[in-house]
Amino acid sequence: MDEMDRLIDDLHGLPAEAERVEYRQRGYHLEVRLQAGQVRAFAELLRKKEFYLTFVSAVHVCPAIEIVYQFACYARPCRIVTRSAVANDGTLPSIADIFDGANWHERETRDMFGVVFTDHPNLEPLLLPEDAADLKPLLKKERAIKPADQLRPPFDGEAQDSGPPTATETGVKEPNPERQ
Amino acid sequence: MMNSTSSNPQRQSFFLNMGPQHPSTHGVLRVLLEMDGEYVRNAEPVLGYGHRQQEKLGESLNWKGFMPYSARLDYVGALPCTHGFIGVIERMTGIEAPPRAEYIRVITSELNRIASHLLWLGAFLLDLGAFTPIMYTFDDREQILDILEDITGSRLTYCYFRVGGVSRDIDAGFVEKTRAFIDRLRGRFKLYDDLVSNNIIFIKRVQNIVRFTPDLAMRYGVTGPLLRSTGICYDIRKKEPYSAYPEFDFEIPVGETGDCLESYRVRLREMEQSLRIIEQALDRLPEGPALAKTPRQLKLPLGDASFSVETARGELTYYLVSDGSEVPYRLKIRTPSFSNLSPLPELCRNVLLSDLVMVLGTLDLVIPEIDR
Repeated sequence: MDEMDRLIDDLHGLPAEAERVEYRQRGYHLEVRLQAGQVRAFAELLRKKEFYLTFVSAVHVCPAIEIVYQFACYARPCRIVTRSAVANDGTLPSIADIFDGANWHERETRDMFGVVFTDHPNLEPLLLPEDAADLKPLLKKERAIKPADQLRPPFDGEAQDSGPPTATETGVKEPNPERQ
Repeated sequence: MMNSTSSNPQRQSFFLNMGPQHPSTHGVLRVLLEMDGEYVRNAEPVLGYGHRQQEKLGESLNWKGFMPYSARLDYVGALPCTHGFIGVIERMTGIEAPPRAEYIRVITSELNRIASHLLWLGAFLLDLGAFTPIMYTFDDREQILDILEDITGSRLTYCYFRVGGVSRDIDAGFVEKTRAFIDRLRGRFKLYDDLVSNNIIFIKRVQNIVRFTPDLAMRYGVTGPLLRSTGICYDIRKKEPYSAYPEFDFEIPVGETGDCLESYRVRLREMEQSLRIIEQALDRLPEGPALAKTPRQLKLPLGDASFSVETARGELTYYLVSDGSEVPYRLKIRTPSFSNLSPLPELCRNVLLSDLVMVLGTLDLVIPEIDR
């Protein structure tokens, strides 16, 4: 399992929060949390480590929509679920030039949630018709939206990391008034 | 345009619309082709004609209500799809199915995988203009549908798996019929080899047309037989084993070159391996209940979970986020055909139009799974 430790070290170096989770209960090995600015560096790291992209999608939580990336690896069992809140302006950098497969997944996420992936080569509707681009069907009604930290509690075992990232994290979330 | 006798040296391309109603797209898929004569300069899939908002359904119904929908993703290989959904619920709630139920799940899932491969085999060859093989493959597939109909009650969109087991135990008749089918299909492989695999016309038609490479697969997230045809031995049943798969002795067939012939061979050998799994499972079928006692009301605990299964086409993943109620807060469904189709523009640059039809056949697409 030293491969996984090295990966976790690299992820801490990004810097990102990474924590092993119980595979039997969660179905993946590693949970990672990123700031919007780290997404591309993270994707490049995983591309170098020979991971493949399982999917990109989103979860509508408050205060900001979370984008979920799942990666897995052909060579060894290592499944990574990554979450990143969209930036204040509701965008996130595209990773479609690093993982070509992300192109369609990001277009689908744009269809369903309205999240704009900056520098995406072709952010046109994929599954929805062209005239329904603003439908955003997977956004929840306001009273149904749950806070992100209530659904998935913050990491507890990472005392040394909890200082600065938490501060920046709230920095991301607080100035973001209302994203529908 | 191409017949023009003008001396204008500038070649002009034109657009050709293939689908959404086209026999070789196997569903409502549209491919917008930019053509130069008979050569495809760019092929752009246009999706969404069969979009049903299944992920919204997943967060509008309680998890029990979504069970039948999970079979409507991949209608030719529905059992592994339902297996994945039941799997994610069981993983979240910590409920375990009794060993007999896990064995039954494996047997029926593998039968379904064979049925899906047989359908692909017939349809693929039909795309190439060989009309005869589909008669044989449908004959074999029909046997499986009959066997599965007896215990599940349906022929395609099964809702057979339950949280904590399966809805109905198998009986001696099922075991007998399945054994008879194993013998029958083993005898048929020789026929398929004579008819197709060793057919020089077939080989010359499909060999070396387009190549999947490990790098391409990694960039696009290609899984399943297409990935294994490039030589990468990746199968969720082995890499992240679920259900009773670790208890069986089976191989993961891999190819070398990644061309269409290779993925044909991989799929054929996979059917043999599936038969091996079914045979072992029938030999060692544990006694006991086929459905565990589960609470009538079953809330999904707070948090998230993911569950991946190997369907006939590749990796299917359910990612569920729960807010602690019976209704999932978010259900993401990652389907193999979606990711397997996405490299099409890159794969089919500068191939002949007739080869594009063959590549679409090789991808083994199930469109409802892409559109969801």
